[in-house]
Amino acid sequence: MVTELMDEVLVYDLERHRAHCLNPPAAVVFKHCDGKRSVEDLARLLESELGAPADPDCVWLALDRLDKARLLSPRVRRPPAAGRVSRRDLIRRVGIAALLPVVTSLLAPTPAQAAATCVANCASQPFGTPCSSTAPANCLCACDGSGNCIGGC
Amino acid sequence: MDKLDRLGWAAGLAFDAYGLRIGVRVNRPEALECLSERLPPGWKPSSSKIVDRLFSLWLGRPRGSARGYHLLYAGMVRRARTLSLDEALDTLESDLRQTVAAFSRDRVFVHAGVVGWHGGAILIPGRSYSGKTSLVRELVRAGAVYYSDEFAVLDGRGRVHPFAKPLSIREGALVRRCSAEELGGVCGVNPLPVRAIVLTGYRVAGHWRPVRLTPGQALLALLAHTVPVRRRPRSALRALQSAVSGAVVLKGVRGEADVAARALLARLGAEAPAVARAS
Repeated sequence: MVTELMDEVLVYDLERHRAHCLNPPAAVVFKHCDGKRSVEDLARLLESELGAPADPDCVWLALDRLDKARLLSPRVRRPPAAGRVSRRDLIRRVGIAALLPVVTSLLAPTPAQAAATCVANCASQPFGTPCSSTAPANCLCACDGSGNCIGGC
Repeated sequence: MDKLDRLGWAAGLAFDAYGLRIGVRVNRPEALECLSERLPPGWKPSSSKIVDRLFSLWLGRPRGSARGYHLLYAGMVRRARTLSLDEALDTLESDLRQTVAAFSRDRVFVHAGVVGWHGGAILIPGRSYSGKTSLVRELVRAGAVYYSDEFAVLDGRGRVHPFAKPLSIREGALVRRCSAEELGGVCGVNPLPVRAIVLTGYRVAGHWRPVRLTPGQALLALLAHTVPVRRRPRSALRALQSAVSGAVVLKGVRGEADVAARALLARLGAEAPAVARAS
């Protein structure tokens, strides 16, 4: 499931129940990554749509991130000739960190995780003390030793 | 017939809440009297004998050397076995709310505190013990309208509906129930568009210096607290997308709730024209 939010894109993986938020550079690569365009084509698109320098390493970084999130099919491997550039080097080259592609992922919660409600107080309780979360059934959470509850549903 | 069904149930009630029909059966009719206060906000009695979810509350009675435990079942799963009737009823109350949140057909429940402010809703998503109720309480004291301290109930257009159960204020190991009226506030009645989403948690000596999030980051943050996202991802995402589309989204730690509440309302007041333009 793909949801566009202004210049970002949110992808929900119905099989793995993972949500991925693509920032504008990652979204541009994702939208135009159709198996026909080359890395250079995508770099030019990044430049025309976002004003980012047409740097193939930015595209490769986006492809790496998208592939890691399993949003590409078939999976993409960076050819050895393309080399690997660190994110720090890319920031230096591009100038603005916001122009680098970022994919933020989240495992969608179960109802128990989303609605975990503790009924006990963790203050002064040692680490691991169950704080008897209530419904839904089988939802358990525990104290973290610092007075907070950590959900373990 | 299951063993549980043969126990000899004397009375029961059925009700509708947020598109879900729930039944509760008891072994002693007088138990129904204590139930009405424990049902989820917005419940309406139903005469139907067919329900989506069934709870069974067995009130124990000491007999000879038998201690007479109270038993609570959700479907066939035992949820409580206790000598304290209050504990059994507390568990039932909580289970009913969580069941409605998880299985409602026409609403999307997000674990969040909600208040109304100048015709829009302020959502405060977060897990238990993140300080939602404290912030909601202080916002209500500062003049906001109380909507919920547990769930933001979203419709398909992203509007928030009230889920105004009494606030559960933790005082040490105890939980005190407190109505909005006791805080000098009122409960909201009408659905509101989301005006602000506040992602925050209490930190000792923390200062409220929030940063703004993009709609995508906001949607992802809300998703982490959305109860039915796995069961109904399409409708959940549609509701969340509508909710974040016109909202200011702020993230940051806070110190004391009263200070943060005043600062938050002041900031939203300052941003009001921009919000109006965005929406």
